[in-house]
Amino acid sequence: MTKREVVHAVLAGNKPPYVPWSCGFTKEAREKLQAHYGTVDVEDALQNHILKLGSDIGFFTQLSENHLRDVFGVVWDRSIDKDIGNVEGCILPEPSLKHYAFPDPLDPRFFTEIPRLIGKYPDRFRVFQIGFSLYERAWTMRGMQNLLMDFYDHPEFVHEFLNAIADYNIAQVHEALKFDIDAVYFGDDWGQQRGLQMGPKMWREFIYPVLKRMYGAVHAGNKYVFIHSCGDVDELFEDLIGIGLNCFNPFQPEVMDVAALAKQYRGQLVFHGGLSTQQTLPYGTEEDVRAETRGLLEMGREGGYIFAPAHDVEGDVSLENMLAFIDVVQSQPEYRNH
Amino acid sequence: MAILDDLRTCVIDGDMNQTQKLVQEAIAENIPAEHILKEGLISAMAEVGRLFESGEYFMPEMLIAARAMKSGLTLLRPHLIAANVHAVGKVVIGTAQGDIHDIGKNLVGMMLEGAGFEVIDLGVDVPPEKYVQAVRDHHPDLVACSALLTTTMLRMKEMITALDEAGLRGQVKVMVGGAPITESYAREIGADLFAPDAASAASRAKELLLEIKKP
Repeated sequence: MTKREVVHAVLAGNKPPYVPWSCGFTKEAREKLQAHYGTVDVEDALQNHILKLGSDIGFFTQLSENHLRDVFGVVWDRSIDKDIGNVEGCILPEPSLKHYAFPDPLDPRFFTEIPRLIGKYPDRFRVFQIGFSLYERAWTMRGMQNLLMDFYDHPEFVHEFLNAIADYNIAQVHEALKFDIDAVYFGDDWGQQRGLQMGPKMWREFIYPVLKRMYGAVHAGNKYVFIHSCGDVDELFEDLIGIGLNCFNPFQPEVMDVAALAKQYRGQLVFHGGLSTQQTLPYGTEEDVRAETRGLLEMGREGGYIFAPAHDVEGDVSLENMLAFIDVVQSQPEYRNH
Repeated sequence: MAILDDLRTCVIDGDMNQTQKLVQEAIAENIPAEHILKEGLISAMAEVGRLFESGEYFMPEMLIAARAMKSGLTLLRPHLIAANVHAVGKVVIGTAQGDIHDIGKNLVGMMLEGAGFEVIDLGVDVPPEKYVQAVRDHHPDLVACSALLTTTMLRMKEMITALDEAGLRGQVKVMVGGAPITESYAREIGADLFAPDAASAASRAKELLLEIKKP
Protein backbone atom coordinates (compact mmCIF):
# COMPACT_ATOMS: atom_id res chain seq x y z
CA MET A 1 0.00 0.00 0.00
CA THR A 2 1.19 3.53 -0.71
CA LYS A 3 1.03 6.17 2.00
CA ARG A 4 -1.98 7.59 0.18
CA GLU A 5 -3.75 4.23 0.32
CA VAL A 6 -2.98 3.84 4.01
CA VAL A 7 -4.63 7.20 4.79
CA HIS A 8 -7.54 6.27 2.51
CA ALA A 9 -7.94 3.03 4.45
CA VAL A 10 -8.14 4.96 7.72
CA LEU A 11 -10.72 7.36 6.29
CA ALA A 12 -12.77 4.49 4.91
CA GLY A 13 -12.99 3.08 8.45
CA ASN A 14 -10.71 0.12 7.74
CA LYS A 15 -7.85 -1.18 9.81
CA PRO A 16 -4.64 0.17 8.29
CA PRO A 17 -1.41 -1.88 8.18
CA TYR A 18 0.12 0.67 10.58
CA VAL A 19 -0.79 4.11 11.94
CA PRO A 20 0.01 6.79 9.35
CA TRP A 21 1.38 10.15 10.45
CA SER A 22 1.77 13.71 9.30
CA CYS A 23 3.68 16.05 11.60
CA GLY A 24 4.10 19.82 11.36
CA PHE A 25 6.84 22.03 12.74
CA THR A 26 7.16 25.76 13.30
CA LYS A 27 10.06 27.57 11.69
CA GLU A 28 12.25 27.37 14.80
CA ALA A 29 11.59 23.67 15.38
CA ARG A 30 12.10 22.88 11.70
CA GLU A 31 15.48 24.62 11.78
CA LYS A 32 16.66 22.16 14.45
CA LEU A 33 15.61 19.25 12.23
CA GLN A 34 17.24 20.85 9.19
CA ALA A 35 20.53 21.13 11.08
CA HIS A 36 20.21 17.56 12.34
CA TYR A 37 19.41 16.02 8.96
CA GLY A 38 21.81 18.34 7.16
CA THR A 39 19.21 19.36 4.60
CA VAL A 40 16.72 22.18 4.12
CA ASP A 41 14.05 19.81 2.84
CA VAL A 42 13.27 17.51 5.75
CA GLU A 43 10.21 15.91 4.13
CA ASP A 44 12.12 12.84 3.01
CA ALA A 45 13.34 12.26 6.55
CA LEU A 46 9.90 12.86 8.09
CA GLN A 47 8.08 10.54 5.70
CA ASN A 48 4.80 12.35 6.30
CA HIS A 49 1.77 10.66 4.78
CA ILE A 50 -0.12 13.84 3.99
CA LEU A 51 0.97 16.22 1.26
CA LYS A 52 -0.20 19.75 1.94
CA LEU A 53 -1.16 21.71 -1.16
CA GLY A 54 -2.20 25.33 -1.64
CA SER A 55 -1.22 27.56 1.24
CA ASP A 56 -2.48 27.40 4.81
CA ILE A 57 -1.85 31.05 5.63
CA GLY A 58 -1.87 32.51 2.12
CA PHE A 59 0.55 34.80 0.38
CA PHE A 60 2.08 38.05 1.53
CA THR A 61 3.56 41.29 0.27
CA GLN A 62 6.59 42.36 2.27
CA LEU A 63 6.06 45.89 3.58
CA SER A 64 9.10 46.17 5.84
CA GLU A 65 11.47 43.82 7.61
CA ASN A 66 8.77 42.44 9.90
CA HIS A 67 5.55 43.64 8.30
CA LEU A 68 3.64 41.78 5.61
CA ARG A 69 0.26 42.24 3.96
CA ASP A 70 -1.87 39.21 3.10
CA VAL A 71 -4.09 38.92 0.03
CA PHE A 72 -7.09 40.20 2.02
CA GLY A 73 -5.22 43.40 2.89
CA VAL A 74 -4.55 42.50 6.53
CA VAL A 75 -1.14 43.64 7.79
CA TRP A 76 0.78 41.17 9.96
CA ASP A 77 3.63 41.98 12.32
CA ARG A 78 6.08 39.08 12.43
CA SER A 79 8.65 40.63 14.73
CA ILE A 80 7.68 38.13 17.45
CA ASP A 81 5.64 35.30 15.95
CA LYS A 82 7.80 34.38 12.97
CA ASP A 83 5.38 31.85 11.49
CA ILE A 84 2.10 33.73 11.25
CA GLY A 85 2.43 37.03 13.05
CA ASN A 86 0.11 39.39 14.83
CA VAL A 87 -2.60 41.39 13.08
CA GLU A 88 -1.90 45.08 13.03
CA GLY A 89 -4.77 47.52 12.68
CA CYS A 90 -8.25 46.68 11.41
CA ILE A 91 -9.19 46.72 7.74
CA LEU A 92 -12.93 46.66 8.46
CA PRO A 93 -13.38 49.30 11.16
CA GLU A 94 -17.12 49.41 10.45
CA PRO A 95 -19.49 46.42 10.34
CA SER A 96 -19.91 46.67 6.59
CA LEU A 97 -18.46 45.18 3.39
CA LYS A 98 -19.64 48.18 1.36
CA HIS A 99 -16.15 49.51 0.72
CA TYR A 100 -14.35 46.20 0.68
CA ALA A 101 -13.51 44.07 -2.36
CA PHE A 102 -12.49 40.46 -1.74
CA PRO A 103 -9.28 39.28 -3.41
CA ASP A 104 -9.31 36.89 -6.36
CA PRO A 105 -9.91 33.38 -4.97
CA LEU A 106 -8.30 31.93 -8.10
CA ASP A 107 -5.02 33.75 -7.52
CA PRO A 108 -2.69 31.34 -9.37
CA ARG A 109 -0.20 31.28 -6.50
CA PHE A 110 -2.56 28.95 -4.62
CA PHE A 111 -2.65 26.39 -7.42
CA THR A 112 0.43 26.51 -9.66
CA GLU A 113 2.60 24.39 -7.37
CA ILE A 114 0.07 21.58 -7.04
CA PRO A 115 1.16 19.46 -10.07
CA ARG A 116 4.84 19.79 -9.20
CA LEU A 117 4.29 18.77 -5.57
CA ILE A 118 2.09 15.82 -6.54
CA GLY A 119 4.82 14.81 -8.98
CA LYS A 120 7.45 15.04 -6.27
CA TYR A 121 5.45 13.09 -3.66
CA PRO A 122 3.11 10.95 -5.74
CA ASP A 123 2.58 8.37 -2.99
CA ARG A 124 1.20 10.80 -0.39
CA PHE A 125 -2.41 11.64 0.48
CA ARG A 126 -3.13 15.04 -1.09
CA VAL A 127 -4.84 17.76 0.87
CA PHE A 128 -5.69 21.22 -0.37
CA GLN A 129 -5.45 23.61 2.58
CA ILE A 130 -7.58 26.67 3.28
CA GLY A 131 -6.30 28.34 6.42
CA PHE A 132 -8.13 31.02 8.40
CA SER A 133 -11.12 29.58 6.68
CA LEU A 134 -14.02 31.39 8.33
CA TYR A 135 -14.20 32.84 11.85
CA GLU A 136 -10.46 33.45 11.87
CA ARG A 137 -10.53 35.17 8.49
CA ALA A 138 -13.37 37.33 9.76
CA TRP A 139 -11.62 38.38 12.97
CA THR A 140 -8.31 39.09 11.26
CA MET A 141 -10.19 41.58 9.10
CA ARG A 142 -12.65 42.98 11.61
CA GLY A 143 -10.76 42.56 14.90
CA MET A 144 -11.60 39.75 17.31
CA GLN A 145 -13.39 41.82 19.93
CA ASN A 146 -15.35 43.73 17.27
CA LEU A 147 -16.44 40.51 15.58
CA LEU A 148 -17.48 38.83 18.83
CA MET A 149 -19.63 41.84 19.70
CA ASP A 150 -20.98 41.98 16.12
CA PHE A 151 -22.62 38.61 16.81
CA TYR A 152 -25.01 40.59 18.99
CA ASP A 153 -24.79 44.10 17.56
CA HIS A 154 -24.82 43.37 13.82
CA PRO A 155 -25.99 39.80 13.17
CA GLU A 156 -26.96 40.51 9.54
CA PHE A 157 -23.48 41.80 8.82
CA VAL A 158 -21.91 38.69 10.39
CA HIS A 159 -24.05 36.38 8.23
CA GLU A 160 -23.17 38.37 5.12
CA PHE A 161 -19.48 38.53 6.02
CA LEU A 162 -19.09 34.83 6.81
CA ASN A 163 -20.95 33.83 3.67
CA ALA A 164 -18.73 36.11 1.58
CA ILE A 165 -15.68 34.38 3.06
CA ALA A 166 -17.29 31.02 2.30
CA ASP A 167 -17.92 32.09 -1.31
CA TYR A 168 -14.23 32.86 -1.63
CA ASN A 169 -13.32 29.48 -0.11
CA ILE A 170 -15.81 27.55 -2.23
CA ALA A 171 -14.36 29.12 -5.39
CA GLN A 172 -10.97 27.81 -4.23
CA VAL A 173 -12.45 24.38 -3.51
CA HIS A 174 -13.91 24.20 -7.03
CA GLU A 175 -10.54 25.08 -8.52
CA ALA A 176 -8.67 22.61 -6.28
CA LEU A 177 -11.07 19.84 -7.29
CA LYS A 178 -9.70 20.12 -10.83
CA PHE A 179 -6.51 18.49 -9.52
CA ASP A 180 -6.10 14.91 -8.33
CA ILE A 181 -6.52 15.72 -4.65
CA ASP A 182 -8.03 13.63 -1.84
CA ALA A 183 -9.30 16.15 0.68
CA VAL A 184 -9.74 19.80 1.59
CA TYR A 185 -8.40 20.97 4.94
CA PHE A 186 -10.13 23.96 6.55
CA GLY A 187 -8.27 25.64 9.39
CA ASP A 188 -10.32 27.73 11.84
CA ASP A 189 -9.76 27.95 15.61
CA TRP A 190 -12.98 28.14 17.61
CA GLY A 191 -11.87 26.86 20.99
CA GLN A 192 -10.43 28.17 24.18
CA GLN A 193 -8.60 26.03 26.71
CA ARG A 194 -12.08 25.46 28.12
CA GLY A 195 -15.13 25.74 25.87
CA LEU A 196 -15.76 27.67 22.68
CA GLN A 197 -14.75 31.29 22.19
CA MET A 198 -18.15 32.30 20.89
CA GLY A 199 -20.17 29.61 22.70
CA PRO A 200 -22.29 26.87 21.13
CA LYS A 201 -25.33 29.10 20.54
CA MET A 202 -23.47 31.67 18.44
CA TRP A 203 -21.47 28.91 16.73
CA ARG A 204 -24.66 27.14 15.64
CA GLU A 205 -26.32 30.35 14.52
CA PHE A 206 -23.44 31.87 12.56
CA ILE A 207 -20.69 29.36 11.86
CA TYR A 208 -22.51 26.07 11.38
CA PRO A 209 -24.69 26.97 8.35
CA VAL A 210 -21.67 28.38 6.53
CA LEU A 211 -19.56 25.29 7.28
CA LYS A 212 -22.37 23.19 5.86
CA ARG A 213 -22.04 25.05 2.55
CA MET A 214 -18.26 24.72 2.49
CA TYR A 215 -18.21 21.01 3.42
CA GLY A 216 -20.98 20.39 0.88
CA ALA A 217 -18.81 21.82 -1.90
CA VAL A 218 -16.02 19.38 -1.01
CA HIS A 219 -18.33 16.37 -0.80
CA ALA A 220 -19.94 17.31 -4.13
CA GLY A 221 -16.49 16.59 -5.58
CA ASN A 222 -16.36 13.28 -3.67
CA LYS A 223 -13.45 14.39 -1.52
CA TYR A 224 -12.89 14.22 2.22
CA VAL A 225 -13.26 17.16 4.61
CA PHE A 226 -10.48 17.73 7.17
CA ILE A 227 -10.50 20.53 9.70
CA HIS A 228 -8.10 22.02 12.16
CA SER A 229 -9.64 23.80 15.13
CA CYS A 230 -7.60 24.41 18.27
CA GLY A 231 -9.03 24.25 21.75
CA ASP A 232 -11.86 22.54 23.57
CA VAL A 233 -14.35 21.97 20.73
CA ASP A 234 -15.37 18.32 21.11
CA GLU A 235 -18.93 19.35 21.99
CA LEU A 236 -19.29 20.15 18.28
CA PHE A 237 -18.31 16.74 16.94
CA GLU A 238 -21.87 15.48 16.45
CA ASP A 239 -22.82 18.64 14.52
CA LEU A 240 -19.64 18.46 12.44
CA ILE A 241 -20.07 14.77 11.60
CA GLY A 242 -23.64 15.56 10.63
CA ILE A 243 -22.48 17.99 7.94
CA GLY A 244 -19.79 15.69 6.61
CA LEU A 245 -16.61 16.22 8.59
CA ASN A 246 -14.23 13.28 8.05
CA CYS A 247 -11.07 14.17 9.97
CA PHE A 248 -10.41 16.40 12.95
CA ASN A 249 -7.10 17.95 13.97
CA PRO A 250 -5.37 18.83 16.38
CA PHE A 251 -6.92 16.52 18.99
CA GLN A 252 -5.21 18.19 21.98
CA PRO A 253 -4.88 15.89 25.01
CA GLU A 254 -4.93 18.86 27.41
CA VAL A 255 -8.44 19.86 26.41
CA MET A 256 -10.12 16.62 25.41
CA ASP A 257 -10.05 12.95 26.39
CA VAL A 258 -8.18 11.67 23.37
CA ALA A 259 -8.52 7.95 24.12
CA ALA A 260 -12.23 8.11 24.98
CA LEU A 261 -13.09 10.22 21.92
CA ALA A 262 -11.09 7.98 19.57
CA LYS A 263 -13.09 5.02 20.86
CA GLN A 264 -16.42 6.84 20.83
CA TYR A 265 -16.12 8.12 17.27
CA ARG A 266 -14.27 5.23 15.60
CA GLY A 267 -15.95 4.66 12.25
CA GLN A 268 -17.49 8.14 12.22
CA LEU A 269 -14.62 10.57 12.57
CA VAL A 270 -10.87 10.22 12.09
CA PHE A 271 -8.54 12.08 14.45
CA HIS A 272 -5.24 13.63 13.43
CA GLY A 273 -2.93 14.88 16.18
CA GLY A 274 -2.98 13.84 19.81
CA LEU A 275 0.60 14.18 21.08
CA SER A 276 0.80 16.77 23.87
CA THR A 277 2.42 19.99 22.71
CA GLN A 278 1.56 21.92 25.87
CA GLN A 279 3.20 19.49 28.31
CA THR A 280 4.99 16.37 27.07
CA LEU A 281 6.89 17.71 24.08
CA PRO A 282 8.36 20.82 25.72
CA TYR A 283 8.67 19.53 29.31
CA GLY A 284 8.69 15.72 29.17
CA THR A 285 11.72 13.48 28.81
CA GLU A 286 12.57 11.62 25.66
CA GLU A 287 11.10 8.49 27.25
CA ASP A 288 7.87 10.40 28.11
CA VAL A 289 7.56 11.33 24.44
CA ARG A 290 8.21 7.77 23.33
CA ALA A 291 5.70 6.36 25.80
CA GLU A 292 2.95 8.80 24.82
CA THR A 293 3.62 8.19 21.14
CA ARG A 294 3.48 4.41 21.62
CA GLY A 295 0.20 4.81 23.49
CA LEU A 296 -1.30 6.83 20.64
CA LEU A 297 -0.15 4.30 18.05
CA GLU A 298 -1.74 1.53 20.11
CA MET A 299 -4.95 3.58 20.26
CA GLY A 300 -4.94 3.93 16.47
CA ARG A 301 -3.97 0.37 15.66
CA GLU A 302 -7.54 -0.55 14.69
CA GLY A 303 -7.95 2.61 12.63
CA GLY A 304 -9.56 6.02 12.92
CA TYR A 305 -6.32 7.80 13.70
CA ILE A 306 -3.46 9.65 12.02
CA PHE A 307 -0.57 10.44 14.36
CA ALA A 308 0.81 13.98 14.86
CA PRO A 309 1.80 16.34 17.62
CA ALA A 310 -1.32 18.33 18.56
CA HIS A 311 0.12 21.49 16.99
CA ASP A 312 3.06 22.36 14.80
CA VAL A 313 5.97 21.61 17.12
CA GLU A 314 7.20 24.81 18.76
CA GLY A 315 10.79 25.98 19.06
CA ASP A 316 10.96 25.12 22.77
CA VAL A 317 10.90 21.38 22.06
CA SER A 318 14.32 19.71 22.16
CA LEU A 319 15.67 17.99 19.10
CA GLU A 320 15.84 14.75 21.12
CA ASN A 321 12.11 14.89 21.86
CA MET A 322 11.32 15.54 18.19
CA LEU A 323 13.51 12.67 17.06
CA ALA A 324 11.91 10.43 19.71
CA PHE A 325 8.41 10.58 18.25
CA ILE A 326 9.72 10.49 14.68
CA ASP A 327 11.66 7.32 15.54
CA VAL A 328 8.71 5.63 17.26
CA VAL A 329 6.28 6.19 14.37
CA GLN A 330 8.81 5.17 11.75
CA SER A 331 9.75 2.06 13.71
CA GLN A 332 6.29 0.53 13.44
CA PRO A 333 7.15 -2.98 12.18
CA GLU A 334 4.42 -3.00 9.54
CA TYR A 335 5.75 0.30 8.18
CA ARG A 336 9.35 -0.97 8.23
CA ASN A 337 8.31 -4.12 6.36
CA HIS A 338 6.34 -2.15 3.89
CA MET B 1 -33.73 49.63 44.80
CA ALA B 2 -35.64 48.87 41.62
CA ILE B 3 -33.58 51.16 39.45
CA LEU B 4 -30.33 49.47 40.51
CA ASP B 5 -31.87 46.05 39.89
CA ASP B 6 -32.79 47.22 36.40
CA LEU B 7 -29.30 48.63 35.90
CA ARG B 8 -27.78 45.33 37.00
CA THR B 9 -29.97 43.44 34.51
CA CYS B 10 -29.02 45.81 31.69
CA VAL B 11 -25.31 45.27 32.30
CA ILE B 12 -25.77 41.49 32.44
CA ASP B 13 -27.65 41.68 29.13
CA GLY B 14 -24.96 43.91 27.62
CA ASP B 15 -27.42 46.71 26.88
CA MET B 16 -25.10 49.71 26.77
CA ASN B 17 -27.64 52.41 25.92
CA GLN B 18 -30.04 51.41 28.67
CA THR B 19 -27.15 51.07 31.13
CA GLN B 20 -26.10 54.67 30.46
CA LYS B 21 -29.67 55.89 30.76
CA LEU B 22 -30.20 54.14 34.09
CA VAL B 23 -26.87 55.34 35.53
CA GLN B 24 -27.89 58.91 34.66
CA GLU B 25 -31.32 58.39 36.20
CA ALA B 26 -29.81 56.92 39.36
CA ILE B 27 -27.43 59.88 39.65
CA ALA B 28 -30.36 62.26 39.12
CA GLU B 29 -32.26 60.48 41.90
CA ASN B 30 -29.31 61.22 44.22
CA ILE B 31 -28.54 57.57 44.82
CA PRO B 32 -24.99 57.54 46.23
CA ALA B 33 -22.42 56.85 43.53
CA GLU B 34 -20.92 54.02 45.59
CA HIS B 35 -24.30 52.23 45.68
CA ILE B 36 -24.73 52.62 41.95
CA LEU B 37 -21.26 51.18 41.45
CA LYS B 38 -21.57 48.27 43.84
CA GLU B 39 -25.18 47.25 43.46
CA GLY B 40 -25.62 48.14 39.80
CA LEU B 41 -22.29 47.63 38.03
CA ILE B 42 -20.01 45.44 40.15
CA SER B 43 -22.78 43.11 41.21
CA ALA B 44 -23.76 42.70 37.54
CA MET B 45 -20.24 41.84 36.47
CA ALA B 46 -19.95 39.31 39.30
CA GLU B 47 -23.03 37.63 37.84
CA VAL B 48 -21.50 37.81 34.34
CA GLY B 49 -18.45 36.07 35.77
CA ARG B 50 -20.62 33.40 37.35
CA LEU B 51 -22.48 32.85 34.07
CA PHE B 52 -19.13 32.57 32.25
CA GLU B 53 -17.77 30.07 34.73
CA SER B 54 -20.92 27.99 34.55
CA GLY B 55 -20.72 27.86 30.74
CA GLU B 56 -23.81 29.97 30.05
CA TYR B 57 -21.86 33.02 28.89
CA PHE B 58 -18.98 33.10 26.45
CA MET B 59 -16.72 35.80 25.08
CA PRO B 60 -19.40 37.72 23.11
CA GLU B 61 -21.70 38.02 26.13
CA MET B 62 -18.80 38.92 28.39
CA LEU B 63 -17.58 41.58 25.97
CA ILE B 64 -20.91 43.33 25.53
CA ALA B 65 -21.57 43.22 29.27
CA ALA B 66 -18.12 44.68 30.00
CA ARG B 67 -18.75 47.38 27.40
CA ALA B 68 -22.06 48.30 29.03
CA MET B 69 -20.42 48.33 32.47
CA LYS B 70 -17.58 50.50 31.25
CA SER B 71 -19.93 53.01 29.63
CA GLY B 72 -21.85 53.29 32.89
CA LEU B 73 -18.65 53.60 34.88
CA THR B 74 -17.46 56.47 32.68
CA LEU B 75 -20.60 58.44 33.54
CA LEU B 76 -20.30 57.53 37.19
CA ARG B 77 -16.57 58.22 37.61
CA PRO B 78 -16.75 61.99 38.36
CA HIS B 79 -19.35 61.25 41.03
CA LEU B 80 -17.18 58.51 42.54
CA ILE B 81 -14.23 60.88 42.68
CA ALA B 82 -16.37 63.61 44.21
CA ALA B 83 -17.61 61.16 46.85
CA ASN B 84 -14.04 59.97 47.51
CA VAL B 85 -14.86 56.36 46.57
CA HIS B 86 -11.74 54.34 45.91
CA ALA B 87 -11.18 51.29 43.76
CA VAL B 88 -10.97 47.97 45.64
CA GLY B 89 -7.41 47.67 44.43
CA LYS B 90 -5.02 48.47 41.66
CA VAL B 91 -3.79 45.95 39.08
CA VAL B 92 -1.00 46.18 36.55
CA ILE B 93 -1.73 43.76 33.73
CA GLY B 94 0.10 42.57 30.61
CA THR B 95 1.09 39.54 28.59
CA ALA B 96 4.43 37.81 29.09
CA GLN B 97 7.42 39.02 27.13
CA GLY B 98 7.30 37.57 23.63
CA ASP B 99 3.57 36.88 23.81
CA ILE B 100 1.32 38.93 21.58
CA HIS B 101 -1.98 37.17 22.30
CA ASP B 102 -4.10 39.72 24.09
CA ILE B 103 -7.74 38.66 23.99
CA GLY B 104 -7.45 36.70 27.26
CA LYS B 105 -5.56 39.51 28.94
CA ASN B 106 -8.15 42.02 27.74
CA LEU B 107 -11.01 39.94 29.13
CA VAL B 108 -9.21 39.59 32.46
CA GLY B 109 -8.70 43.38 32.51
CA MET B 110 -12.39 43.98 31.81
CA MET B 111 -13.51 41.55 34.48
CA LEU B 112 -11.11 43.08 37.02
CA GLU B 113 -12.46 46.52 36.18
CA GLY B 114 -15.95 45.10 36.54
CA ALA B 115 -14.98 43.82 39.99
CA GLY B 116 -14.05 47.35 41.04
CA PHE B 117 -10.31 47.35 40.37
CA GLU B 118 -8.34 50.13 38.76
CA VAL B 119 -6.54 48.46 35.86
CA ILE B 120 -3.29 49.66 34.32
CA ASP B 121 -2.82 47.80 31.06
CA LEU B 122 0.78 47.48 29.89
CA GLY B 123 -0.32 45.74 26.68
CA VAL B 124 1.41 42.80 25.03
CA ASP B 125 5.00 41.51 24.91
CA VAL B 126 5.86 43.19 28.20
CA PRO B 127 9.48 42.74 29.35
CA PRO B 128 10.12 42.08 33.07
CA GLU B 129 11.70 45.51 33.58
CA LYS B 130 8.51 47.18 32.38
CA TYR B 131 6.50 45.37 35.06
CA VAL B 132 9.12 46.50 37.60
CA GLN B 133 8.83 50.10 36.45
CA ALA B 134 5.02 49.94 36.50
CA VAL B 135 5.08 48.64 40.08
CA ARG B 136 7.38 51.54 41.05
CA ASP B 137 5.19 54.09 39.25
CA HIS B 138 1.71 52.89 40.15
CA HIS B 139 2.11 50.96 43.43
CA PRO B 140 -0.43 48.28 42.44
CA ASP B 141 -1.74 45.58 44.77
CA LEU B 142 -1.45 42.98 42.05
CA VAL B 143 0.53 42.25 38.90
CA ALA B 144 -1.37 40.04 36.44
CA CYS B 145 0.44 38.34 33.58
CA SER B 146 -0.83 35.98 30.87
CA ALA B 147 0.79 33.71 28.29
CA LEU B 148 -0.75 31.60 25.56
CA LEU B 149 2.39 29.76 24.54
CA THR B 150 4.69 27.28 26.21
CA THR B 151 7.55 29.31 24.76
CA THR B 152 6.50 32.53 26.51
CA MET B 153 5.17 31.20 29.83
CA LEU B 154 8.78 30.84 31.00
CA ARG B 155 9.06 34.62 30.92
CA MET B 156 6.58 34.86 33.77
CA LYS B 157 9.20 33.48 36.11
CA GLU B 158 11.66 36.08 34.85
CA MET B 159 9.11 38.78 35.64
CA ILE B 160 8.72 37.47 39.21
CA THR B 161 12.51 37.25 39.59
CA ALA B 162 12.85 40.83 38.34
CA LEU B 163 10.33 42.04 40.93
CA ASP B 164 12.28 40.12 43.54
CA GLU B 165 15.62 41.58 42.50
CA ALA B 166 14.16 45.08 42.50
CA GLY B 167 13.06 44.53 46.08
CA LEU B 168 9.39 44.94 45.12
CA ARG B 169 8.11 41.38 45.41
CA GLY B 170 6.95 41.87 48.99
CA GLN B 171 4.81 44.86 48.02
CA VAL B 172 2.75 43.21 45.32
CA LYS B 173 0.88 39.97 44.64
CA VAL B 174 1.37 38.18 41.33
CA MET B 175 -1.37 36.42 39.40
CA VAL B 176 -0.71 34.31 36.28
CA GLY B 177 -2.92 32.61 33.71
CA GLY B 178 -3.24 31.55 30.09
CA ALA B 179 -3.84 28.35 28.13
CA PRO B 180 -0.75 26.31 29.11
CA ILE B 181 -0.57 27.59 32.69
CA THR B 182 -1.54 25.26 35.51
CA GLU B 183 -1.94 25.76 39.23
CA SER B 184 1.24 23.77 39.86
CA TYR B 185 3.21 25.81 37.33
CA ALA B 186 2.03 29.01 39.02
CA ARG B 187 3.21 27.64 42.37
CA GLU B 188 6.49 26.48 40.92
CA ILE B 189 7.41 29.94 39.62
CA GLY B 190 6.36 31.61 42.87
CA ALA B 191 3.13 33.30 41.76
CA ASP B 192 0.55 34.01 44.47
CA LEU B 193 -2.47 33.29 42.38
CA PHE B 194 -3.50 31.27 39.35
CA ALA B 195 -6.73 31.76 37.43
CA PRO B 196 -7.95 29.44 34.66
CA ASP B 197 -10.19 32.07 33.04
CA ALA B 198 -11.16 35.75 33.07
CA ALA B 199 -14.10 35.36 35.42
CA SER B 200 -12.20 33.48 38.10
CA ALA B 201 -9.26 35.88 37.70
CA ALA B 202 -11.49 38.70 38.90
CA SER B 203 -13.15 36.78 41.71
CA ARG B 204 -9.89 35.23 42.98
CA ALA B 205 -8.03 38.56 42.82
CA LYS B 206 -10.77 40.19 44.83
CA GLU B 207 -10.82 37.42 47.42
CA LEU B 208 -7.06 37.64 47.85
CA LEU B 209 -7.04 41.41 48.25
CA LEU B 210 -9.96 41.42 50.67
CA GLU B 211 -8.08 38.81 52.69
CA ILE B 212 -4.93 40.97 52.77
CA LYS B 213 -6.76 44.18 53.54
CA LYS B 214 -8.79 42.65 56.36
CA PRO B 215 -8.33 44.82 59.41
